[in-house]
Amino acid sequence: MAAEILKLDNISKTFPGVRALNGIQFSLHSGEVHCICGENGAGKSTLIKIISGAYQPDEGGNIIYEGKPVHLDPFLAMKLGIQTIYQEHTIFGPLSITENIFAGMEITKNGIMQKAEMTKKTKEVLEYLHTNLNPDDLVENLSSGEQKIVEFAKALVFDRKVIILDEPTASFSVSEIDNLLEIVNKIKARGIGIIYISHHLDEVFKIADRITVLRDGQYIKTVDRDATDEPQLIRDMVGRDASAFYNREHFTPGETVLEVKNLTGNGVYDISFEVKRGEILGFSGMVGSGRSELMTLLVGGAEKLNGEVYIMGEKVDFKSPKDAIKHKICYITEDRQHTGLFLIHTIARNTIIANMVNTKKPTIMPKEEEKVGDEYIKKLGTKAPNAGVLAGNLSGGNQQKVVLAKWFNTNGEIFIFDEPTRGIDVGAKQEIYQIMVDLLRQGKAIIMVSSDMPEVVSMSDRVMVMKDGRQVGEVSKNEVSEENILELSIGGAKI
Amino acid sequence: MNKDMTKKKKGFLRGENSTVLLIFIAFMAAVVVLQLITGGGAYPSMISPANIMNIFIQISAVGIMAMGMTLVMISGGIDLSVGMLTSFVVLFLAKSFRDWDFPLAAAIIVAILLAIAFETGMGFIISRLGVEPFIITLGGQIAFRGVALLIVNSQEISMSGALDGLKDTVIPELKDPTSGLNLNIPPYLFIFIAVTIVIWWLLKYTKYGRRIYAVGANPQAAYLAGIDVKNTLMSTYSLNGLLVGIGAVCLLARVNTAIITTGQNLEIDVIAAVVVGGVAMSGGKGNAWGVFLGALLMGAIANGMNILRLQAEWQYVAKGLIIIAAVSAGAITNTIQARRQLKQQNLAGTQSGAGESTNKQ
Repeated sequence: MAAEILKLDNISKTFPGVRALNGIQFSLHSGEVHCICGENGAGKSTLIKIISGAYQPDEGGNIIYEGKPVHLDPFLAMKLGIQTIYQEHTIFGPLSITENIFAGMEITKNGIMQKAEMTKKTKEVLEYLHTNLNPDDLVENLSSGEQKIVEFAKALVFDRKVIILDEPTASFSVSEIDNLLEIVNKIKARGIGIIYISHHLDEVFKIADRITVLRDGQYIKTVDRDATDEPQLIRDMVGRDASAFYNREHFTPGETVLEVKNLTGNGVYDISFEVKRGEILGFSGMVGSGRSELMTLLVGGAEKLNGEVYIMGEKVDFKSPKDAIKHKICYITEDRQHTGLFLIHTIARNTIIANMVNTKKPTIMPKEEEKVGDEYIKKLGTKAPNAGVLAGNLSGGNQQKVVLAKWFNTNGEIFIFDEPTRGIDVGAKQEIYQIMVDLLRQGKAIIMVSSDMPEVVSMSDRVMVMKDGRQVGEVSKNEVSEENILELSIGGAKI
Repeated sequence: MNKDMTKKKKGFLRGENSTVLLIFIAFMAAVVVLQLITGGGAYPSMISPANIMNIFIQISAVGIMAMGMTLVMISGGIDLSVGMLTSFVVLFLAKSFRDWDFPLAAAIIVAILLAIAFETGMGFIISRLGVEPFIITLGGQIAFRGVALLIVNSQEISMSGALDGLKDTVIPELKDPTSGLNLNIPPYLFIFIAVTIVIWWLLKYTKYGRRIYAVGANPQAAYLAGIDVKNTLMSTYSLNGLLVGIGAVCLLARVNTAIITTGQNLEIDVIAAVVVGGVAMSGGKGNAWGVFLGALLMGAIANGMNILRLQAEWQYVAKGLIIIAAVSAGAITNTIQARRQLKQQNLAGTQSGAGESTNKQ
C-alpha cells in the first residue's frame, strides 16, 4: 500500500455548548480516495475544516502530515499541499482558466509575468485530464462541472498532495457526475490523496477505496469499500441508542386542516400532502433537497407555478406571507437570526409584530406591547428579566422562544417548524419539544422540517422524504425509522 | 428576582437620547462659561431668549426635513436629494407665483405635491428594483438641480414678502428682557414643533411606525411577518417628499428669495441632524425626539460659534468633530448598555436555572 500522507489521531472539536467532534481517527494514503460518510450534523464539515486549517482542534489530538506532527492553519495547509474544493467555487469569472489557476501565484521573471509558461503548464494539465478546455477560455463561460475541473487542474499544476472534495457533485447532471468521477480517478493515479464527502452513496461506492463513518461527532469505523455495502453503511450512519430519542405523547389526528396538491415553484416540483389536527408531519431529506423552499412557497413567499392549496377545505392563493398569517399559518423559519427576529428590537416588539395583520386598530400602545411580551415570557419560560430586553442579547434557545411567542400571538392553527432546535442546547431542545406537543394537545397541526434524524424519528407522526426538490416517498406512522428515512433520502440513483 | 432589576430604567439621562442630550447641554454650558469669563458679568447672550429663538428659527426648516429623513433612514434608506429638491420646490413656487400667476396657495400646494411625486418615484424604484438608495437619490439630486435651473433659466426670483405670513412674529411688541431686543417667534416654528410631535407619535404609537422599524431592522423577517416591505419603504419616501416640501416653503418664507443655492448642501445638515440624533445608518433604530435634539445641537453649534466669533474655517472643523464625537459616543453607549443587559440576563439565567450558551454552532 502507498505511503500514509495524513493521519489524524484522537481529534476533538468543542464549540461553546456543543461537542462537534469527539476522538476522531482518520488516515489518508497517497493515491487513495477516502470517503467520509455521515448524516447532516455528523461532523463531516468540521473535520474537513480542521484538515484544511480553518479550525483548530482541541488539545490532546495529533495531526501527522508526512510523518511529522503539524499545527495546521490555512496558509500552512496550502503550503504543505492540501487543497480544499468547496461546494461554492472560488473563481474569478471574467478571467481565463490560466489566470484563475495562477491567481496570486503567478510565475514571474524579474517581476514580469511569464504568460507563455503559465499557459503551457495549464495546457499540459488540461490535456492530461482529457478535457477539451482551452487555457484561454473565460471561466464564466464554463458550466459548473467544467469550473470544478479548473479547480482540479489547479491542484495538479501546483503538485498538491491532498485534495478535499466537499459535495463535489451538488447540482451536477448525471453525465457531469460520471465525468467528474473519471477525473478523480486520474488525479488519484498521480499519487494524490483525495478526501471525498458526498451524500450520494452510489457515488461513494463507485469511487471510494476506504470509507470512514461519523455519527454525532463520533468516529464509528473505517472500512474498505469491498468490505461493506449500502444497507450496512446506512446502519452504521444511523445506529443510535434509545437515549437519543425524545419520547412524546401521541394524539388521535383530527380533521384535515391543510391539503397541498401538486404544488410547484421555487425549485420544488409536484408536491402533494395533507396535515391533520393533532399530528406532526415531518419533512426529511438532505440539506438542499428543497424542504425550506417548499415551506417558503407554501406561505406565499415565492411564486407558485402550479398546484393547489386548501386550508380547512377552502382553496387559497397566497400572494405574500401576509395572506398566510391571515389564514392561521405560522412559519417558524430555520434561521431565526436572519429571517425570524429583529435582533436590535425588544422582545415586546418582536412578539407583537406578526399579529399586526390580524388587528384592525391602527395604533399600538407601548404599554400593551410590553404586557403581551411579558405574558409570553412567562408562558414559554423565556429567560429574560422583562420584555424590554433586546432579542439580540438572548441565547439561542430563548431567541427561539421569542420567535414562538411572535407566532403564538397570531392565534395560528397550522405551525411550520423549520429546524426548530438548530443551534440550541439539549435542555432547551426538550422544552421546545414539549411546547410542540402542547400545541398538538390544543388541536393544532404541525409541519416539521428537520435534518436532525433523532428529532424527525421521535417527533413525527408521518415523515415525507424529499430529494432534489421532489417528494420521493412517505414513511407512515409505524414505519418511521432512521433506516427507512435515510434509504429514501440518499439511497438509489440521482434523478 | 430583585424587583428593581425588572423595572426598566428610564429617567432624564438614562433614556435612548441621553448621549445627544448630554452633548447638547455640555456644549451650551461650555459656550456660556466662555462668555461669562470673557464677558465680565453680563448675561451670557447664548442663553438669552432672543438667541434661543434665533437657533430655533435657523433650524426649523432643516428640522422639518430631518423628520422626513428620520422615517427614510429608520426604514434603512437614505436620501441625498433633499437639498436640490428644496431648491426645486422654492424655485418652482416662486416662478409659478410670480411669472405664471398661480395664486399663492396653489403655488404652495403644487410645489409640495411635486416634491411628493418626485420622492415617491425614487421610492418606487428603490423599493421595487432593490437598488441602492444612495445611488438613486444621488441621481435625483443631480436631476432636480437641472430641472430647477431649467424652470428659472438659472435666475433668482424674489417673493417680495408674499410668504411673510409664515415668518412674522406671532406676538409683536414682545421684548427679550435680557437685552431689550425684539423677540421674534415665527409661525413656521410651530410647524416644526407640530411635525416633530406627529412623527414622534407615528413612530411610537402606530402600527405603521412599527412596520418602518421592522423593515429597517430586518426586511426578510418583516416580510415573513406579514409586512408589505416594498410599500412601507416607498411610503417613507413619499412622506419625506411631503416634509421636504413643507420645510422648503418655510425656508423660502425665511429667506424671501428663491435661488438655486437655497437648498445647496442642505442634505448634509439634515443627515447630520438625524445621525447625531441617534438614528442608525443601518436602519431600524432612532426616534423623533432624538432627532429634534440633534437638529437643535447642530443649530446651537453654528450659532454658538458665531457668538464666540470663531473663524468660519474653524467652525467647519469644530462642527465636523462634534458630529464624529456624538455618533461615536452613541455607539459606545450602546455597547455598554448591551453588556449591562447581558449581565442582567446571565444573572437572571443563573437564578432561575441552568445558564445557557449564547453561541450558535
